Amino acid sequence: MKHTLALKVNGQDYEVSIDPWRTLAWVLREEVGMTGVKMACDTGNCGSCTVLIDGKAVKSCIMLALQAAGKEVTTIEGLATAKGLHPLQQAFIDHFAVQCGFCTPGMILKAKAILDENPNPTEEEIREGLSGNLCRCTGYVKIVEAIMVARDQMKAAKTGKK
Amino acid sequence: MTTYLDLLKAKTVDKALDRLNQYWVEDRQLDYFNAATIDEALALLDRHEGARVIAGGVDVVRLLRNRLIAPTALVNIQAIPGLATITEDAVGLKIGTLATLSDIADSPVIKGKYPLLAEAARSAASPAVRNMATIGGNLCQQVNCWYFRMPAITGKTFFCHRKGGPTCFAVDGDNRYHAIFASGKCHAVCQSDLAPALVALDAKIKIASTDGQRVISVEELYTPIGNTLKANELITGIEIPLPAPETKQSFLKFRIRKAIDPAIVSVAAAVTVHDGLITDARIALGGVAPTPYRSLAAEDALKGSMLTAESAQAAAAATVRQAAPLSMNDYKLAIARALVKRAIIG
Repeated sequence: MKHTLALKVNGQDYEVSIDPWRTLAWVLREEVGMTGVKMACDTGNCGSCTVLIDGKAVKSCIMLALQAAGKEVTTIEGLATAKGLHPLQQAFIDHFAVQCGFCTPGMILKAKAILDENPNPTEEEIREGLSGNLCRCTGYVKIVEAIMVARDQMKAAKTGKK
Repeated sequence: MTTYLDLLKAKTVDKALDRLNQYWVEDRQLDYFNAATIDEALALLDRHEGARVIAGGVDVVRLLRNRLIAPTALVNIQAIPGLATITEDAVGLKIGTLATLSDIADSPVIKGKYPLLAEAARSAASPAVRNMATIGGNLCQQVNCWYFRMPAITGKTFFCHRKGGPTCFAVDGDNRYHAIFASGKCHAVCQSDLAPALVALDAKIKIASTDGQRVISVEELYTPIGNTLKANELITGIEIPLPAPETKQSFLKFRIRKAIDPAIVSVAAAVTVHDGLITDARIALGGVAPTPYRSLAAEDALKGSMLTAESAQAAAAATVRQAAPLSMNDYKLAIARALVKRAIIG
């Protein structure tokens, strides 16, 4: 039996009709059209399906879509604004933190969750925060470097505003 | 039965993925209910035979997709208010069943007075999974065994003891990650990190059903082939008594990689030491049996002796004395010995 699900994704409201066993990752990709959500291991290990729910990083492949009812979902598509890319996205480009790119949406969203929770994490804390996101091509050095650069820029922008 | 080969005949990757997704529920009606209160959840469990509770979803969704469970309905308890709280009083700690592993790992009270529990929660899975996984779900999760968990989609279902079958495939198969303590039939391992931690802390589990409430110890939740919850029962919370003031707590976990992997062996130890003399001890292991394994032998070896490297060594040796490793996993004995010793003496 199909269920109607009201979802808020990247600030916009969606209503979809889905089977209860559909995962959030599948619904975001196939019904909402946010193909920045990647499905790889599909067992909650690799982190490529990472999205933010009410600001917290979760793995959308081991969560039923119906469980996201009434919650705010953020995917990689929701990070850039009219002013341009999010500092994390720009830093990933500038510091070559992308190779094939498949893990990148999950990496950037997890990095955003890390910085939202603690605007000044150490390298160790960043690595620990990324421990559930796997990259099979570049390794993690460039990714961690990019996040540290974005961290410093975001801090500077914040203090600049004050 | 559809095999991977049939699926690969799908014309596009998306079609193959779509079919993979549909496979586990084809021909099956699955209902879904949101419970707003505990009473409503219990009534739903009563009314729908074959219904199953879902909270964080971490284990349930994987079991569903691998056709290891076939519920008729899912009762989502995630939105029930007041079930995710962590509260402290004079006699101990109360943790609601929906508290996530992140909540537990970050709780100042738990980090301060129940550090072995905070460490166990912090060591589990990966950060995003810890944001989803609840303490109740963590305790109810199925065991780790690649025969038991083999997805039906592969066309190879191992109809093992745990599924009501005639044999345990690990005995003559690849058993490098399996149990080292004989438990009768099943040789899978308890992969919950919180279970041994809560055994060491002498925690109790509060269970509700429309028949009323009951309270059991964590050990009583488990049998070698499944847990003791009835189909209409729901774990509502965990209660931990305040440890004696001079209790040394430790949780250690050995695994191949630092994250994601479940424990090869984990050890939770709560050792009460008074003027160098061990007056009480609780030692529990994960990853070594289908249930959390409490080592009474190690506890007996410790109680009444002085806290020294020798007594810790003796307890470590006692822990594995009754072990019965399988053909490929006697290496776990050395790990268990080392971890028990380190958990006691540091």
